[in-house]
Amino acid sequence: MTLLVVATYPVAGGTVLEGRVTIESDGAVAIGGTRVPSSQGTSAMLGAAAQVAAHLGTSAPYALVAGDIGRGDGTRAVYERLLDAVTRVRPSVVAFHYMQPVMALMRKAVDGLAEAAPGALLVADAGGMYAAKAAGLASRFELMTPDVGEVGFLADPSVTHPAYVSRYLFGNDGFDPVMLAASAHETGGSARVLLIKGARDHITLDGRVAEVVDEPCVPELEAIGGTGDTVAGLASAFLAAGFPTVDAARCACLANREAGRVMGATPAMHASDLVAALPGVLASELCGWSGVCVA
Amino acid sequence: MALFARRDRKAAPGADEALGLFLFDAVNDALAAERALKAAGYEVSLVAPPPHLRAGCDLSIALPRVEQVGAEREIVGAGVHIRDWVADVEGTAEVCDLVTTVDFGQWLMVRAGNMKIVVEKATGVIVNTSGGGCPDIPYLNLELVGKRLHEVPRPKDLGYTLCGLMLDRAYVEVRSQLETAAQGGDA
Repeated sequence: MTLLVVATYPVAGGTVLEGRVTIESDGAVAIGGTRVPSSQGTSAMLGAAAQVAAHLGTSAPYALVAGDIGRGDGTRAVYERLLDAVTRVRPSVVAFHYMQPVMALMRKAVDGLAEAAPGALLVADAGGMYAAKAAGLASRFELMTPDVGEVGFLADPSVTHPAYVSRYLFGNDGFDPVMLAASAHETGGSARVLLIKGARDHITLDGRVAEVVDEPCVPELEAIGGTGDTVAGLASAFLAAGFPTVDAARCACLANREAGRVMGATPAMHASDLVAALPGVLASELCGWSGVCVA
Repeated sequence: MALFARRDRKAAPGADEALGLFLFDAVNDALAAERALKAAGYEVSLVAPPPHLRAGCDLSIALPRVEQVGAEREIVGAGVHIRDWVADVEGTAEVCDLVTTVDFGQWLMVRAGNMKIVVEKATGVIVNTSGGGCPDIPYLNLELVGKRLHEVPRPKDLGYTLCGLMLDRAYVEVRSQLETAAQGGDA
């Protein structure tokens, strides 16, 4: 029951790091004992996932990452090592996160995973999601976690990056995440479950709304870089712990929102503040949300 | 007029001209080529290549076919590698131009597409960036957050991807709004 996160970290030329994820005493995220910069992105995702594992007493998430500041070098390095890592780690969930969206590499990875880890559930967020959708592989994924600016991308079969989505799909002018989720499902642009992050979080199963989470309402969370990444990390970790996918997504939305409320979120705070608030939130609320109670 | 003289076109490209595309291996190559061409007086536009020519995070430059030779020389002269030239723009797409603003009182957030930048109004300090999914976005977050708007390079000069390009649009807009407010207009 291990979560494997495949991603990058924001250091030019940074070496490949592989290992269990830990949170240091000062809140920094470490991979196999090596600290990675604290920012939005994969460090936020890993921090949230590690807090879930620590709370539930499950295996700490395992990460395969490399330095990449947008040139794609680190992305290529982790793809090259992916199947080797999968053979050793035997993950139950593989999550693709901040990566250069290269369709050919994603196709090769997904085909390889079908043989190396046929039972593993696939999760995608950020560039991993862009690559999976653009390559026509979205329906092979169990969970994707788009925000309101990305669900239109999943619903539009003609585009390969959210930057090219028609403006009416971007959160206003008749924006309808339910309709877009259905369209994404019909056109093969959606995972089985979508967690659409927004002022109201919509969770859809096979194109239909299964859950809506809108409390507590903390508008400041949208302004904080990485709070979508923490949702993805929470959901991936709950999934790896054995939660049904819709429950994993719902608990992720609730925990993220509650952490934002508890920390008194302002637009000047950071994802690391939210990660630090998670242990208390999980200890006090997860049992009631999920029925999964830790003594 | 010399055959390969520098051009000084002012009309928008493609209004009634046949267009072609320069394709690149990386978004930052396209951005560097755009800078070189605009510095040389060309009017060009950044667009997505047609679907059958896309590899993922792509950006190409559209300009009148008749200008291919001179423009190519400018790009190569700037040290930028061109993957290919395509004399057909059918199926291209424009980069999203939707920009929205959220006022948090002490802070102003501007979204460009799915990219966001948040600035403290009183100081101009960038307190957050978010959105996107390409690897330069966490890098830009580290490079920009905690610094004043006017002290940092533009995101499109630091970044490498379409996400970075969209963050640049948000940066330009928030800077414009705060400068307008400082001059006594509405932010």
